Amino acid sequence: MKALLSTVFLLSTSAGFADTPLPGTTVDTHVLPGYETLAAQTAELSLAAATDCSVESPDLVAAYHDAFDAWIAVSHLRFGPSERNDRAFALAFWPDPRSATPKGLAALIADQDTVAANPDEFATVSVALRGFYALEQLLFDSQLTEAGPQEYICQLVRAIANDIAQNASEILLDWKTEYGNLMANPGNATYRTPDEALQQFFTALSTGLEFTAETRLGRPLGTFDRPRPNRAEARRSGRSLRNVIGSLTATKQLAEQLSMNDPKVEEAFNAAIQRATELDDPILAGVASPQERFRIEVLKQDIDNIRRILAEQVGPSLGIAAGFNSLDGD
Amino acid sequence: MKIFSITTSVLALSVGTAAMADGHASKDSVLETYANIAAANYGDSLISAQKLQTAIGVLLANPSAEALEAAKSAWLAARVPYQQTEVFRFGNAIVDDWEGKVNAWPLDEGLIDYVNTSYGGPTDENEAAALNVIANASFTLSGEVVDASQITPALLEDTLQEADGVEANVATGYHAIEFLLWGQDLNGHEAGVGNRPWTDYAIGDACTNGNCDRRGAYLKAATELLISDLEWITGQWADGGDARAAVLADEDAGIAAILTGMGSLSYGETAGERMRLGVMLNDPEEEHSCFADNTHNDHYYNGVGIQSVYLGSYTRIDGTVVDGPSVSDLVSATDAGLDAEMRSKLAAAVLALGKIKTAAEAGFSYDMMLERGNAAGEALIMGGVAGLIDQTRSIERVVAALGTSINVEGSDSLDDPEAVFQ
Repeated sequence: MKALLSTVFLLSTSAGFADTPLPGTTVDTHVLPGYETLAAQTAELSLAAATDCSVESPDLVAAYHDAFDAWIAVSHLRFGPSERNDRAFALAFWPDPRSATPKGLAALIADQDTVAANPDEFATVSVALRGFYALEQLLFDSQLTEAGPQEYICQLVRAIANDIAQNASEILLDWKTEYGNLMANPGNATYRTPDEALQQFFTALSTGLEFTAETRLGRPLGTFDRPRPNRAEARRSGRSLRNVIGSLTATKQLAEQLSMNDPKVEEAFNAAIQRATELDDPILAGVASPQERFRIEVLKQDIDNIRRILAEQVGPSLGIAAGFNSLDGD
Repeated sequence: MKIFSITTSVLALSVGTAAMADGHASKDSVLETYANIAAANYGDSLISAQKLQTAIGVLLANPSAEALEAAKSAWLAARVPYQQTEVFRFGNAIVDDWEGKVNAWPLDEGLIDYVNTSYGGPTDENEAAALNVIANASFTLSGEVVDASQITPALLEDTLQEADGVEANVATGYHAIEFLLWGQDLNGHEAGVGNRPWTDYAIGDACTNGNCDRRGAYLKAATELLISDLEWITGQWADGGDARAAVLADEDAGIAAILTGMGSLSYGETAGERMRLGVMLNDPEEEHSCFADNTHNDHYYNGVGIQSVYLGSYTRIDGTVVDGPSVSDLVSATDAGLDAEMRSKLAAAVLALGKIKTAAEAGFSYDMMLERGNAAGEALIMGGVAGLIDQTRSIERVVAALGTSINVEGSDSLDDPEAVFQ
């Protein structure tokens, strides 16, 4: 049975003290640096693919991991520029319960679809065939890539890497030229008050943690009787746990800002990050073993504990609560 | 049931008048209206499902092309009230825990019946994706042998629904029935719906695709379940029902439930999961009603339901109106400007969803809109998405203005830290 999280009251008045976090500070110290790193790393990735598109190229694989790390560090910021033109979905389409990514890539390769030759046209393909998870299939699933001629696989790798870099630079540009200002200077049609901008960040923080707990960990955990290790995120490139740690580290920074460095928040994050680091299970294969599984469940609980502190203590002290999020559906 | 519901609504009107005597709607009276609309809307869903059951009874007794078409028409009509009820899902735990029985989606239809070879077989995610219960009187599921010699409501509900813990194993509800009436839509992005021949239900040698008797038994069982499930939920909203009592028990939590339902259906569910995902994947199988190509109506009536709940006015399938003091009245008393904003956003979203419906009914079907590079189709669908997202922002402002909150749906582990150890 699905129960409801205890009601958190949204106070109609803001705290209004000088020690309220400023949305502009978060834009400058959390959002912009994150997207600058993503734009730089994805440009490197595109360059690496242009230099050597072989799926075994060590430089290409290293650039893939660096760029993926940079994405994970901003992957909780799902609003505004990342949602225009489905940019974030096109960077990171996962989970994929109907296997749209492998099926669609196999179809492109079988047809040697010329869409891969034209960068503008490539941006019209299904988001499942773009971004980091599609690139992962090409770089780490030899069964898929051996099905087609090397020249075509090469073209596809370059098209995806180029598209990733393009998307990342567009998100950064929008933040710099427009959206950062909307959040830093509320009183506009998007953010009427500072509280609305803070609520946006608070929602992003809560949703990011929910995604890590329920999806990054919850999907492979499945149930005790039916664990689903094959559902672990980016397991082919051994990134499942790395993404959990990366996301926790990034959301910790945002949480510290919103909570004005509340020690309880820092302590809760540190506990989760330490537990994750000690797991030493890159693809969360332990979900299928009763002993190891327990440790992954405890990590999930650590994250739920952070979520509870945020919802029950940090939010009310700021006079805000999380708004609706994209995970509210089924 | 019908007479009973109308009595309830008349009663609510008189209560409403009293509650408005001082010029302000009370939260209690607003919740009363909400529960009355839910009772009437689920009641309408039940009435129209009973008509569907009658039409299916005719099809199974005397199979013919006409009887199949009549059953399809009845299914389409039944969707009109049901889709409006979806605004009651999120925020009302009783509804949310129940709704998967009747409206689960998307489904791996190969679980139920024969499929085209392009469908493929079992997948990494779902070993039962191509099980084909209709063709197999016995099979193995999650390592256990299942006797399916008799296709009964219990087999569907207890054994097949979400078999092996996979949500795509949808054995019951509107979409299972839709598949049994229409069959797979093999037209891809071209015009056209599923083309199941009526002879799939023919008796004796005229039977096509085998096992017509078992197919008929499946359709009959699924329809019986739909009726019993709708009877149950309608009772939950009647006087003395648990869903009504839960909403009325606490004024603030009740108002929060209304707004949670409006926002969650607008944003995460309809705009996100159902509409935007299909556009982004260019996948006609991401259509909510992919066999019947009724997706434009699914989305449109979601939008209408959200609007009805805010305005406190629902028009029944017989044309009578159930109305009373509304959330709109509450907001208006606090912030008239915000109420005007909310009303205009809701109207704009219904209009944008209506444009999709208009184009689809004129021949530009929803799966054609989803095709890669179809800019006009994408613009139509994304117009609806934008309207729904836009109204979600205003719903959040209403939440703040009323000094309430949204009940964020949490996981078991978040609500009950001990649950994972049990």
